[in-house]
Parts: sequence; structure tokens; C-alpha cells
Amino acid sequence: MSLDYVKFTPGFGKFMPKEYRDMVDHGPFGKKTTVSQVGSFKEIMEEHPMCAGCAMTLFIRLAVIAFPNPEDTITVGTAGCGRLAISQAAIQFVYGNYGDQNGVASGLTRGLRLRFGDKPKDVVVMAGDGGMADIGFAQTLHSWFRKEKFTTIMLDNEVYGNTGGQESGMTNQGQVLKMAPLGKKFEKMDMLGMAKVAGCAYVATVVPNNPRRVESVIKKAVLIAREIGPTYIQAYTSCNIEYAIPTEKVLEDCNVVEKDRYKFEEYMTDEAKECLSQLYGYKEYLPKPAKAVEQK
Amino acid sequence: MYLVAHIDVDICAATSCRLCTQFCPEANTILYNTEAGKDRGLKYGSAYVAVDRCKGCAQCVWVCDNMAKHNAIKMEMIDQIGDQALTENLTYSEKNCTAVLASPVRG
Ligand SMILES: Cc1ncc(C[n+]2csc(CCOP(=O)(O)OP(=O)(O)O)c2C)c(N)n1
Ligand code: SF4
Ligand code: SF4
Ligand code: SF4
Repeated sequence: MSLDYVKFTPGFGKFMPKEYRDMVDHGPFGKKTTVSQVGSFKEIMEEHPMCAGCAMTLFIRLAVIAFPNPEDTITVGTAGCGRLAISQAAIQFVYGNYGDQNGVASGLTRGLRLRFGDKPKDVVVMAGDGGMADIGFAQTLHSWFRKEKFTTIMLDNEVYGNTGGQESGMTNQGQVLKMAPLGKKFEKMDMLGMAKVAGCAYVATVVPNNPRRVESVIKKAVLIAREIGPTYIQAYTSCNIEYAIPTEKVLEDCNVVEKDRYKFEEYMTDEAKECLSQLYGYKEYLPKPAKAVEQK
Repeated sequence: MYLVAHIDVDICAATSCRLCTQFCPEANTILYNTEAGKDRGLKYGSAYVAVDRCKGCAQCVWVCDNMAKHNAIKMEMIDQIGDQALTENLTYSEKNCTAVLASPVRG
């Protein structure tokens, strides 16, 4: 059913743009495509106006490739740089007013479950650190406390990038920015800790210098949200404009930041582990066989 | 004029690794032709750039030089590249994407 919305009415295919035809005929819909196959299938991300070399763009590209069922996925975004690209993928996109994204996603997820019952539709929020940890903070936390079954991804560039460099709660203490000339006064917010306290079933950090890891955390987060409850990924997605990172050094910066404040961290509840092993074949989360009791 | 990435097929097809394709921030930009270079006895096929989508960030150059250590990508002025791939000339097939390469029509 969901695949049909991208297909052509018979006879109309030849009037569609080439990119669209390639997407229908050679895109990832209904197939299992992986990051290691990129370059040989038509990705469903299209051209967009985000800056050249932006790590957020790279992360969004990888995330869209990683969605386990892109044809049954709906993304939710808000004001900020990321939505400029997220909205240019052949996936249904809903724009929540700035800060409202997790409230919108809560209603959407509940509505889709009423409408489609046990046929899962995956809802994935992707929004900036300002939209999520500052302006949308209450809605983000409430969606977690209320155990809403969708994935929240913070595109953490540690600044309000789209509006020219104001500090956010996720900016590091002391950081000077164009619109924070005296340096940020308080420390980077611990949203990972808050996600755990608020009951997220899966929490992970990731940096786009490791495409396979991005793929792995996105898949797990979406599958766990589908079955168990809220999941949260915090991705370091530098703003090369506001932090003046030369574009050819963006990945070098990713490596430095990963070692400093973005070490890979993955947390999941026992229920989430059981879900991945029982329903989705993740052998590494099968319960370990109990050790034989030593006979004396 | 502006710079875009250009991949040396002879280097890439001899040691191919597919790394740059995974790190380009732009989708559908660094593509992969498993047949490239085979007529010259090179085994692996090669990555190439759809220049109409390249934003010239040079991240792929960093990846090829520092991660792959193959030095196969250089930034070049778009009007200096004779054989270019454009999105409109791509043909996808099972696990492959080939391009008819041509000099851009100017004027
Ligand atoms: C209700 C409302 N307030 C303010 C804005 C203006 N605005 C647009 S984008 C943005 C900041 C975006 O920063 P962030 O959420 O960190 O995302 P980034 O652009 O850094 O990815 C703001 C304040 C708006 N669009 N709507
Ligand atoms: S302003 Fe910063 S975060 Fe926004 S697209 Fe440009 S580099 Fe990326
Ligand atoms: S990183 Fe270099 S060698 Fe590897 S696929 Fe890309 S161009 Fe070829
Ligand atoms: S220069 Fe940037 S946009 Fe162009 S192919 Fe390389 S990584 Fe992609």
C-alpha cells in the first residue's frame, strides 16, 4: 500500500523527471539497501540548499539510507537547517512549528496507530539542538515521559546555525559565537542523561565519521520505537559556517570531537534488547546461556 | 568557474574501496561503476562524480587521501574536466550505476 504512492499511473512514467523514475525503479523502497551499497542505487534524498560540506547534511543522508522501512516512515522536522534537506527526501515529511516537533510527532504516532493498527509506520523526528533542548524542551521531555513510540534525533551542531550563531543549551561552556560574544555561561545540557531518566528505551550518541555506526544506531532506534517506546539519538553534526571549520577538515573535526565529548555511547533497556533479538534477529542481544554450576 | 571533485579512474579502479561514496554529504553524487577500467585490465571498477550535484566541499579528497590513502581525487575547475558525468546521463542497473561521459555543452 505505502509503496504504491511513489509509483506511476500506467502510461505516465515517461512524463516524470528522470530522478523520479530512477527513484521508483532503482531506489531503496521495499528492498534492504545498506550504506555499503551507496553509489549503486538511487538514494531518495534529493538536492537541497544546505551548505557545502555540512556534517549535518552527511548525517541526514546516512540516516535516510538507514531507515529500515523508508516507504513506511514519516519524518517530522522544524525550523533550523536540517529540515532544508529532510524535506527533500521522498519520504512523507511533517513540519512542526519551531519547538513543537515532539508534540506533533506524538499526535501523529497515535493517529497512525489508530488508522493502521498493527501495520507499523515509523515516525522519526530530526531537529536541531535549539529546537529540541531549548525551545522544544518541554515537548521533547513530555513525549519521553509519556512513552510515545517514535524516534527523536537531535542534530547537535552546538549552535543555532540557521539564524546566524546564537548559543543553545547544547553549546559548550565558554564557547564564543557570533551572537554570544561573551562566551556561553553554563555547561552543555545532559540530554542523554535526561533521556534515560525520562524512560527512553534506547539512547545513543553518534558522529557521522562512522557511516556504518550511524546506520546501526538509526536502525535499532527506529525498530525499538516501533515496538517498545521512545528512543533518542544525539548526533554531533558540526556547523562549519558558525564554527569556521574549513569544509575539507569537517571529518577531522568529527574525529577530534568524538574523542573529546562525543564518545560512542549506547544504552538500551532489557526489554529493548529482547525486542531486537526476538523480533529482528539481533543475535548479540540473545540472553547469555547461564554458566554451568561448578560441581565440587 | 568553480571547483568540483574529479576521480582518477586508473588509481581508483586499481585499489577501489568505496569509502568516498559513503562520506560525501550530498546524495547521488559520488557513484560507482563496477565496469570502469576493466577494458584496461583494472579489476575493481571506479567511483565517479556527478558534477552537477557536487558542491565542491573537498571532503571526498580528505577521505581518499587520509582514510583510503589512495590520493585518487583532486578538485578541478569544472570547465577543465573533459569527461564529466551528469545526472541526466546516468543509468542505474542491478547493483551498478554507469554514466555516459561527455564534455559539457558551453555557451
Ligand atoms: C517559533 C519560532 N521562533 C523562532 C524561529 C526562528 N528560528 C528559525 S531557525 C532557528 C534556530 C535553529 O537552531 P537549531 O534548532 O539549533 O537548528 P540549526 O539551524 O542549528 O540546525 C530559529 C530561532 C522560528 N522559525 N519559529
Ligand atoms: S549554517 Fe551550519 S548547520 Fe546550517 S547548513 Fe550551513 S554549515 Fe550546516
Ligand atoms: S576513496 Fe578514493 S580509492 Fe576509494 S573509492 Fe573513493 S576515489 Fe576510489
Ligand atoms: S567535493 Fe564534496 S560534494 Fe563534491 S563529490 Fe566531493 S564530497 Fe561530494
